[in-house]
Amino acid sequence: MKPAVAIIGGGIAGMEAARQLLLLGYTPIMIEKSDHLGGHVGEWHCLFPDMSPAADLVENLKNGIKGATVFLETGIAFINRIRDTYNVMLDNGISIPCQAVLFATGYELFDAAKKEEYGYGIYNHVVTNRDLELWFGGREDARFPAKPSTIGFVHCVGSRDIKAGNMQCSKVCCMTAIKQAIEMKEKFPKAEIYCFYMDLRLFGKKYEDFYIKAQRDHGIHFIRGRVSEVGENYDGTLQIKAEDTLNGKPLKLNLDLLVLMAGMVCGKDNAKLTAGLRMGLDTDGFLRSRDNIYGVTDSNRRGVFFAGACTGTKTIPETISEARAAVLGIHNYLMK
Amino acid sequence: MTDRIASGFHPFVLPFLVGMLFVLSYCLIGMVRILFQLPREDRRRFYLSLINPKTALKNVKDIFLNCLIHVRLWKRNPLLGYMHSSIAFGWFMLIVLGHLEVFLFVPGRAKLLYYPIFFNYFVAESDTTLKGALLFFLMDFFLLMVLSGIALAVIKRVRSRLFGMRHTTRSSALDLVGMYALWLIFPLRLLAESLTAHISGGSFLTLPPNWLALRIFGYEIHMLPAWWAYSAALCVFMCVLPFTRYMHIPAEMLLIPLRNAGLKIRNIHKGFAKVEVLSCPGCGVCIDACPMSASRANLKNCTVYLNRQLRRGNKRRINQISDKCLLCGKCEAVCQVGVQGPELRVAHRSSRRYGINQDYSNVVPSVPQGGHKLLYFSGCMTQLTPRISKAVISVLDKAGVDYEWMDKEGGLCCGRPMMMAGRKEQAEQLVRGNTRLILGSGADILLVNCPICYRIFKEEYDLPGVRIVHHAEFFDELAASGALTMAPGKENICYHDPCELGRGCGVYEEPRRLLSQCGGLVKAGHEKSESICCGGSLGSLTLSYSEREAITRNSYADLVVSDPDLVATACPLCLATFSRYADRPVRDLAEIVDKATD
Repeated sequence: MKPAVAIIGGGIAGMEAARQLLLLGYTPIMIEKSDHLGGHVGEWHCLFPDMSPAADLVENLKNGIKGATVFLETGIAFINRIRDTYNVMLDNGISIPCQAVLFATGYELFDAAKKEEYGYGIYNHVVTNRDLELWFGGREDARFPAKPSTIGFVHCVGSRDIKAGNMQCSKVCCMTAIKQAIEMKEKFPKAEIYCFYMDLRLFGKKYEDFYIKAQRDHGIHFIRGRVSEVGENYDGTLQIKAEDTLNGKPLKLNLDLLVLMAGMVCGKDNAKLTAGLRMGLDTDGFLRSRDNIYGVTDSNRRGVFFAGACTGTKTIPETISEARAAVLGIHNYLMK
Repeated sequence: MTDRIASGFHPFVLPFLVGMLFVLSYCLIGMVRILFQLPREDRRRFYLSLINPKTALKNVKDIFLNCLIHVRLWKRNPLLGYMHSSIAFGWFMLIVLGHLEVFLFVPGRAKLLYYPIFFNYFVAESDTTLKGALLFFLMDFFLLMVLSGIALAVIKRVRSRLFGMRHTTRSSALDLVGMYALWLIFPLRLLAESLTAHISGGSFLTLPPNWLALRIFGYEIHMLPAWWAYSAALCVFMCVLPFTRYMHIPAEMLLIPLRNAGLKIRNIHKGFAKVEVLSCPGCGVCIDACPMSASRANLKNCTVYLNRQLRRGNKRRINQISDKCLLCGKCEAVCQVGVQGPELRVAHRSSRRYGINQDYSNVVPSVPQGGHKLLYFSGCMTQLTPRISKAVISVLDKAGVDYEWMDKEGGLCCGRPMMMAGRKEQAEQLVRGNTRLILGSGADILLVNCPICYRIFKEEYDLPGVRIVHHAEFFDELAASGALTMAPGKENICYHDPCELGRGCGVYEEPRRLLSQCGGLVKAGHEKSESICCGGSLGSLTLSYSEREAITRNSYADLVVSDPDLVATACPLCLATFSRYADRPVRDLAEIVDKATD
């Protein structure tokens, strides 16, 4: 019988890994806690830098894993090791014996309501990057005004923020904000759009091009400085206070819509999931790789592997590459 | 009872005399110096208070109840209370009765300082002793009382947990010398008096050992070494006393009248502050009380160590301890002598000179229109927690209150953060600015929802004709008058007392009364004046976020011991701090009232 590999998490990392495992002739068994595959990417509308639809990526991945066993709406009770194999106990009572385990549990989106000064959940016209993508994708949302004339984007909401308990940079929000700002500008050409940032971290392919395009072709304003407070005017519009640190001046601004770039935070179940394997978590709460340079997809337990944002914030291309790397690691491990 | 030694003197009294004269002159000179360090007006105030019969009576009463009986300690921890009062009161009674014996039996020796202490050595029993039987009994009784206290002290030294203390102070070397000397004094006295009891007479405690010794050894044991040792122990104790924590014994007797005169700390190294520092008994009750004790590394930053470093003059540590403190005031609330830990620290902070001194006197905030009965000041912290101001406004609307939101478009800071940082001048500029705005508006009531603002409005602002209320008080009044009717929910609520509102301003009952009308009120582990700071306080200048996190988690765990459905507080800073790590909703009082009045 072909060796079985349990894949925890049905996001893009888990799906790509399952696809590659099938191609190599293994039996992937995928466990996903929600009722659909695709994870966070499945909720996104368009992906930078080519503005390709996220739905296409998810659809391609789904087509690639036909034939794999998938458990939806299933949680994990515990995982333990029995000699050289692992036993993954599901919360529906099914036990899955397998030769290797791949964690592709990803990240969680920071709860923007925790940064109360931005007023998410308190003021009507404050939304997150995720809300915006869902709205782009056609979801009805009363928080979006019909014709906004001024829109603000706040970068680093819950990222690089010791008060929010997250020190890590979420990597993708700078670029997402620029992408979303351009999309909004295309939707509402007359709107003035402001991006409030700490630093712009535009490291990936074509990211810088997007940034220049946003300023030159779309006239989007980039203001270095965090928003300090958000208030609501009597007419329901928002008033924000910020500091333009390049000018050294405080500023007040009225906005029709404020978009918060909620960052990536570690999964809150990480400790519980890994408890039976005694792997320990990294200091940032993400899963701990054997080595952060040479063994990112390896754990410090034989037969347990990682892929994607479960070990730290990742972009989509990084996640896909890691899924493939992890599969190669699993293959080498099982061939021994 | 007659004199046994014609000269009325023996060289063994010399060590005692040296110690006694040393400690008396040290304390006297110290007291005069401290009184002269007081600012002239304070000194006058102090002298006047001494001749005021009301304060004079209070002084006597406070000294008796606190220095001798330790009433406050009894209330907090009866075992510790007994330990302290048995030693202090027992010793006091031994001295008083000793004098009484001298006056009654050998009045001619009354002028000799050492006679009452070594009375038993110098007298012999005679046929008049029967009159002294009661006194003998009492002397032995109080000696037993002191000895029981010493026994408890020895046990506490080995197992402080038996006395309900998790941490105790680490003693300095001299403290140890003083402590061992103190422990020795009374057993040695018992020994000396026992060995002399067949001559001087004795009672239930001293006679049996005397009889036993005679039976066992068959001859009289030489008594002088015991008397020498007793005198030497007294000498050692009194000679090291000024340099140990036992200095609190004389210092507290000065502290009480100074405090009753209404003096305030002005300079951390002089005058009133100095007496407070010397009055610290180093008991370490503040160590467990300090919210920073959540992490071991900060155990030595509580008030008992501040006092010790102030006595040693260690500038580096004084700076460290002063800056780290959250100024939550719990050490002061639990302190048996009432050392004002936060005030000492603020006094130290304000002694600093800064290179840059901001000028806030020209800042122009938006001016209230005026013409409304109530002025609502939300404060800076509430700008970061807008759900509170939203709820306050909603409740005010429901109650039909005529109000104006003073700092909706941004306002001046109340000045409390500057005050806490010791920057009094900057704080006063802000106080003046706000005073002008508030008085200019013509409002009768100033409503604040932030206890930090509330405290400085109450303490430092002079606003004639304006009543300052916190929303907990105001909503409570609205509910009592029927302007607000609340429908109680099913949720169990636990209330966290913000430091500035509770210990700072004494508002404990109003929020609880309100919450009990909105749901089921359950208890926290520590409540009211014992409540544990959330760790977010502006008081600390140097605590890192990870240190604060440990404090917050510890305080939160104590708050949810009864497993409430939600946690309530009445301070935007506590709200923001707890929300960061809470596993259940944290709400401001205003939000809960707002929901219950829908």
